[in-house]
Amino acid sequence: MSEHDEKRAEEQGDPREERQQGRVESGNRLRKELPQEVSASVPAAQDAPKTDPKPEPETDPRTDPEPEPEADPEPRLTGRQRLVQGLWPPRVSRAQLIVAVLLFGLGFGLAVQVASNSDSDSALRGARQEDLVRILDELDDRTQRLEDEKQGLEKQRDELENSSDQAEEARKQTIEKERQLGILAGTVAAQGPGITMTIEDTKGTVEADMLLDAIQELRAAGAEAIQVNGVRVVAGTYLTDSGKGVSVDGNKINAPYRFKVIGKPQDLEPALNIPGGVVQTLEKEQATVTIERSTKIVVDALRAAKRPDYARSSSQ
Amino acid sequence: MIAVLGLVVGVVAGLLVRPEVPAVVEPYLPIAVVAALDAVFGGLRAMLDGIFDDKVFVVSFLSNVVVAALIVFLGDKLGVGAQLSTGVVVVLGIRIFSNAAAIRRHVFRA
Repeated sequence: MSEHDEKRAEEQGDPREERQQGRVESGNRLRKELPQEVSASVPAAQDAPKTDPKPEPETDPRTDPEPEPEADPEPRLTGRQRLVQGLWPPRVSRAQLIVAVLLFGLGFGLAVQVASNSDSDSALRGARQEDLVRILDELDDRTQRLEDEKQGLEKQRDELENSSDQAEEARKQTIEKERQLGILAGTVAAQGPGITMTIEDTKGTVEADMLLDAIQELRAAGAEAIQVNGVRVVAGTYLTDSGKGVSVDGNKINAPYRFKVIGKPQDLEPALNIPGGVVQTLEKEQATVTIERSTKIVVDALRAAKRPDYARSSSQ
Repeated sequence: MIAVLGLVVGVVAGLLVRPEVPAVVEPYLPIAVVAALDAVFGGLRAMLDGIFDDKVFVVSFLSNVVVAALIVFLGDKLGVGAQLSTGVVVVLGIRIFSNAAAIRRHVFRA
């Protein structure tokens, strides 16, 4: 458009130039009116017409054209006045209509472009090929990095899961072992198939060694948990005679002696009944022995766990 | 006045209609809009200067748009589309600024 401006300016002259010229002309007029008085101003006034066709470029770089005197009568109007005139009142002229059509196109394109640009999802639509390639490369790199990170994290997760699985397994085994050992040590109650042996001792002839024999026999037959009259029999159990009764680990018990034994009943009962065994020995002493098999024997007498003073586990 | 109305109506229509921009035109639309803006500023300045001519305006408007799109098209074909369109925008921006300065001098006398 500025070419157009310049051309038009060449043809019709710039109003600023017009004004400049007017000023200069007034200076000339002044000179004509007062020729003798202001001699000092004469050289300046004489310079002015010379510079007239070539306006100083630093004040207005766009106005290279020389102004022409036969400009239309409009130069009296300032740009502002012209603007107001163009805006109001509205006039329907060919120029206005054509410009309106073009500006409609501009506004339309502007709005469309702004709208399509502000759609976030279509931000890539206006991008050119090399930009798209670059964006794609960046995305690939990022994907690769994230993939690597994901793999690392997955590996870590697997390791943690494995170790926690192992820890869980170890914990389970420990609990299981604790139970087993607790049954042996008498610190936990136990239940299972087994037998109940009751020794009636009306004559008071049963002694501690006979009960010990019975316990040994039961153990040999695979008894896993034994209690006598509410006293748990464990590895360190000792029996002593005590007056009419028997003392087990210092707990005095009296007849009838009721043994609750967990183990395989088919093994335990014959072991007691073998010829010359526990039952025969006791019956020789006039005691009566009754043995009952049961599918559920509860051994619930407990014994406090005792920490050994000197013995330490040598494993580990 | 009618011209300003045309601009306003165009913006409103563009916002309301929201047409799909064809993919072929897509890269050239922004440049074309900037070129048209340059033409409009030039026209406004010419009007303030009192030398406005509708024929010249139409021709310069259309040729600005076409040439700008053509430069970008050529740049895309040559593989320097991004740089060339940047250059076009810079040049048009400079022109818009100088035109705006002239308009400002007219309107504000400063």
